[in-house]
Amino acid sequence: MEQPSRRIQPKHWLLAVVHLGSLVPLARFGWLAWQGQLGFNPVETALRASGRTAVLLLLLSLAITPLRKILNLAIVQPLRKPLGLYSALYAGLHFAAFAAWDYGLDLGLIWLEFTQKPFLLLGLGALVILVVLALTSTRGWQKRLRSGWRWLQRSVYLAAVLAVAHYLLAVKGDLFTLQGDYTRPLLAAGALLLLFLLRLPGLQGWLQDRLRRE
Amino acid sequence: MKDQDYRSVPVSPDEVTPQDVYLSRRKFLKGMGLAGLGALLASCAPAISTGTEGLVATEDLREALTSYEAITNYVNFYEFTTNKEGVAELARDFVTEPWSVEVGGLVENPRSFSLEELRTNFAQEERIYRMRCVEGWSMVIPWLGFPLHKLLAEVKPTGAARYVSFESALVPEQMNAASSGMFPFPYLEGLRLDEAQHDLTLLATGLYGETLPPQNGAPIRLVVPWKYGFKSGKSLVRITLVENQPPTLWNTIAPQEYGFYANVNPAVSHPRWSQATERRMGESGRRETLLMNGYAEEVMPLYAGMDLKVNY
Ligand code: HEM
Repeated sequence: MEQPSRRIQPKHWLLAVVHLGSLVPLARFGWLAWQGQLGFNPVETALRASGRTAVLLLLLSLAITPLRKILNLAIVQPLRKPLGLYSALYAGLHFAAFAAWDYGLDLGLIWLEFTQKPFLLLGLGALVILVVLALTSTRGWQKRLRSGWRWLQRSVYLAAVLAVAHYLLAVKGDLFTLQGDYTRPLLAAGALLLLFLLRLPGLQGWLQDRLRRE
Repeated sequence: MKDQDYRSVPVSPDEVTPQDVYLSRRKFLKGMGLAGLGALLASCAPAISTGTEGLVATEDLREALTSYEAITNYVNFYEFTTNKEGVAELARDFVTEPWSVEVGGLVENPRSFSLEELRTNFAQEERIYRMRCVEGWSMVIPWLGFPLHKLLAEVKPTGAARYVSFESALVPEQMNAASSGMFPFPYLEGLRLDEAQHDLTLLATGLYGETLPPQNGAPIRLVVPWKYGFKSGKSLVRITLVENQPPTLWNTIAPQEYGFYANVNPAVSHPRWSQATERRMGESGRRETLLMNGYAEEVMPLYAGMDLKVNY
């Protein structure tokens, strides 16, 4: 592998893979809808597909920096932003499926849902953060907010925690005894935990050393 | 005759086709000398026919029937898989014959009923019921079966019996997810004795005039139309009369979310799904959820003096 240079050159083919890959779930959904193959409860299908994709892309975008640092893979860095933006897109579609498709924009009903269901508030928190981060992700905003921008971007970790908590609570069962269909949300929670661990400076240095010696 | 306050939601015009087809079949069955067409028309009234002379439409909801395809392909049956649309395929080869249901506990005549006996000793009637899932969706299903109280009358509950416990089959070799450890199977459910003896409480052996397919709980299942769907245990192997409130699967796992009573009640919310409104399969938009799933008039007397928010 070539030695990464200090200035990161975006690899166009890598970016293309990310763009295409991120659009596949949407295209697939559109295709299934076109074919009338969204199942017997299309709203539920839409909510689940969009929610899962949003979480997956969010975790992938969070995995970029550790990947770059530990494996010394600078070429992946430019992928972080599009992955985060696509996650925000799917989160937005997820919310649209909920508010417009399922509840027909009936504000009274939607309000009732939010007041009665804590897991929705967690989702809302995650959504707000993702949308704010997406809107302020431009260079213009980066300049305007100066050092505040980096600080703001860090809240993506909070968004991930909220989203994974929302996921864990969206499943039918009991979280304390793990009786229920928790495989997927637990995988997401495990991945997030791992990403947090990888941010520990000690662990990061140790992994770097080991990998470089090999 | 009582009036029909709770169930006067008209059929939506885009949904008449399956019902049309089905109604014509029902008329055909009636025409076979089972009951007059007049009885069918009169059955717009809610009174439950206790007819014993075969297939009798006991209730006409004037709401479109959910399609057979939706009823048989969108089901929760966690012993097979938690994917509602994957059950039908996985349950296809589930062996339901021979089968017997053990009825015992606090009864004078404990005994086992073979499937044959359950199908022939008890007149099978048709009951068109709403079915409301705790997940916030609903269907209208034409069941075939007989009221549970007829079975209970044969075994004669003793004076000490106050509850009924229902146990579903657990056949790990045939049920993919039964031993995954995700849930403490066998699936258990329970009713208070008076709920079990209510005429609406059905033991179903078929739907749409045909034998119950495995994914819907073949060969025999419980149907308690005023409670969330999970109360209606599938593929029953044991019915036991007991003195104290029996353990039930969902209530054991998450008592704060799944009460023992689990009566459909738009005023009692659930942490995940809306109980104020529901999504009727095959319809767009949501409709309001009815108290006791529209059977309030029939079943509210069972809960006189009880706080339904506490006993949810
Ligand atoms: C206001 C914002 C949000 C609302 C109202 C909302 C609503 C919902 C609802 C109603 C469900 C349950 C679907 C069902 O199983 O019936 C759900 C599940 C889910 N949501 Fe959200 N959500 C929101 C934000 C988010 C965000 C920001 C994410 C991810 C970044 C997310 C990810 C998920 C996931 C992964 C599931 C579980 C899907 C599954 O069962 O496989 N949600 N959400």
